Amino acid sequence: MNGIIEVENLSFGYRAGEILKDLNFEVMPGKFVGIAGPNGAGKTTLLNLLCGLLRPKAGSIKIDSARIESYSVKKLAQKVAVVRQEFVPVFDFTVAEMVSMARTPYLGTFGFESKADKKFVAEALEMTDTAQFASRPLAQLSGGERQRVFIARALAQNTPILLLDEPTSFLDLKHQVGIYDLLKRMQQEYGKTIVAVTHDINLTIQYADEALLLGADSNYHIGKTNDVFSQQQIEKVFGVRTFTGKVGQENFFLPLGKFAKDNQIITRKPPISQ
Amino acid sequence: MAEFLTAKELAIKVVICLAVLAVIMCLCAMVGTQKVSLAKVFAGPGEVPGQNTDYEIFVGVRLPRVILAALVGAALACSGVVLQAILRNPLADPYILGISSGAGLGATIAVLSGVTWSFWGGSPIALFAFAGALTTVWLVWCIGRLTGKSQVTTLLLAGVVVNAFFSAVIMFLISIAKSEQISWTVFWLMGNITEKDLPVLWVSAGCILTGIFGLFSICHRLNILTFGEEEAKGLGVDTEKTRVVAFGFAAFITAIAVSLSGLIGFVGLIIPHGVRLVFGPDHRQLLPVSAIIGSAFLVVADTIARIIVAPAQLPVGVITAIAGGPFFLVLLARYNRKISWLK
Repeated sequence: MNGIIEVENLSFGYRAGEILKDLNFEVMPGKFVGIAGPNGAGKTTLLNLLCGLLRPKAGSIKIDSARIESYSVKKLAQKVAVVRQEFVPVFDFTVAEMVSMARTPYLGTFGFESKADKKFVAEALEMTDTAQFASRPLAQLSGGERQRVFIARALAQNTPILLLDEPTSFLDLKHQVGIYDLLKRMQQEYGKTIVAVTHDINLTIQYADEALLLGADSNYHIGKTNDVFSQQQIEKVFGVRTFTGKVGQENFFLPLGKFAKDNQIITRKPPISQ
Repeated sequence: MAEFLTAKELAIKVVICLAVLAVIMCLCAMVGTQKVSLAKVFAGPGEVPGQNTDYEIFVGVRLPRVILAALVGAALACSGVVLQAILRNPLADPYILGISSGAGLGATIAVLSGVTWSFWGGSPIALFAFAGALTTVWLVWCIGRLTGKSQVTTLLLAGVVVNAFFSAVIMFLISIAKSEQISWTVFWLMGNITEKDLPVLWVSAGCILTGIFGLFSICHRLNILTFGEEEAKGLGVDTEKTRVVAFGFAAFITAIAVSLSGLIGFVGLIIPHGVRLVFGPDHRQLLPVSAIIGSAFLVVADTIARIIVAPAQLPVGVITAIAGGPFFLVLLARYNRKISWLK
């Protein structure tokens, strides 16, 4: 194995029972991996294991060829940046203050930023198009803008790996696509390895190179997105029938509920192709 | 372009604030029933002791008291800043984790047991209050950790419960005490700045300034700690260690302040808020500026307490509560109207 993230025989559980069992996968440097699965399958738990917030019950996680336990909190923060579901801080920090805190793992005793730190922050603000509201309090921004600020912070942290926990939940279509476009740019222009937990299978297919589908019964599937997501697989893992379409080489899935309008469409119309 | 706080900019602000504080302290030391001339003070003590009464009053009586007020104000304001950050609660004050009731209980026990020995030339009440405060904080910390290492809510609840329990014990002790003992205890509980011997003052100053410096060294981590455990770890902050250091220093300087002056309310709550409204929430700036503004506030409040009903004196805690509340409301209203000088 020579991935930047290597997971071997990983198991983890809470008191209620085991969530992840014998998980094996690796993420190669510069890849974009989407983690999908039903609620309770352990997606966020896996993310917390990958950023060192939780310790595995069995098995190991290696970041850049070293076991995750061997890193100090500070050193690990120089390797892995995490963007969680959005939150509003208790105190009114401005966007610039929030983003500059990403430099903490590199700061000295009293925590003042150097010229190089300021350059990283300014670049991150520019790239994420958040420089325009740098001096505004975070609480005054919309959900989409706030999420861009958190991604700017992760960018300013200057880590090779970026982990995201449902980065587009609560966002409208335009902002969802905007966030994924931004992540793709970070992958392509800065060579970041991106691992994103998501509920949106279609966006994952569109943007990610590979996918990890966690099942509720501790089964998992990993591989190219088109191999992992199929109509049968989705129905098996999520318990939902889907209408399958095709745009270019990629499959897309429209979930069909029991009482959805035209839910018999699956039998009437052939898949759309372009 | 984003604005960043630089060490130089902060140093300039702190020096300006310190200069203003020095002027305020000097003016307050001149005010009182006996007017003092600064020219005579600068003339020195004279050859015979008691020859220059202005000098004696200024240097021997009022200046130590003003310095004591400044130290207590700085300690309470800093402690408020830090506890609001680590508990992620804007309503936290230095007494939230049981320090007030612990110190109060210690002081009450000292008064009721009628101890007469003196400690380093000072009252044993201060020593009992200091021991009571630190023991209570330790107790709250231990209870808070029973359910896990980083349960901020449990810590807060433990503080509230211990506070309530010890307050009940104080009430019980007061209800069975003699009347002259009660007046002593109540006077102490209201918060008072009184003249202290110089060695006590210098040792306290050393401890409080060391504590504030220790807290300043973790201020950038406190910024991140306000986002919560997960976020802070993701940004490379050792949350457990930072919390222990912050809590330890904050409890220590508060215990010293309480043992020196009793329970002075409002300073630890409104000063951090007021400074945050004007200067923003960055703790690297918030902590030192709050320390200086807290000092100035308590020095002025103590001067008012000293002269308003002269020759009698009011407990300074009464002044801080009466003046602090409206002052804070004015600040809040002005801030909300976005008046430019406040931004």
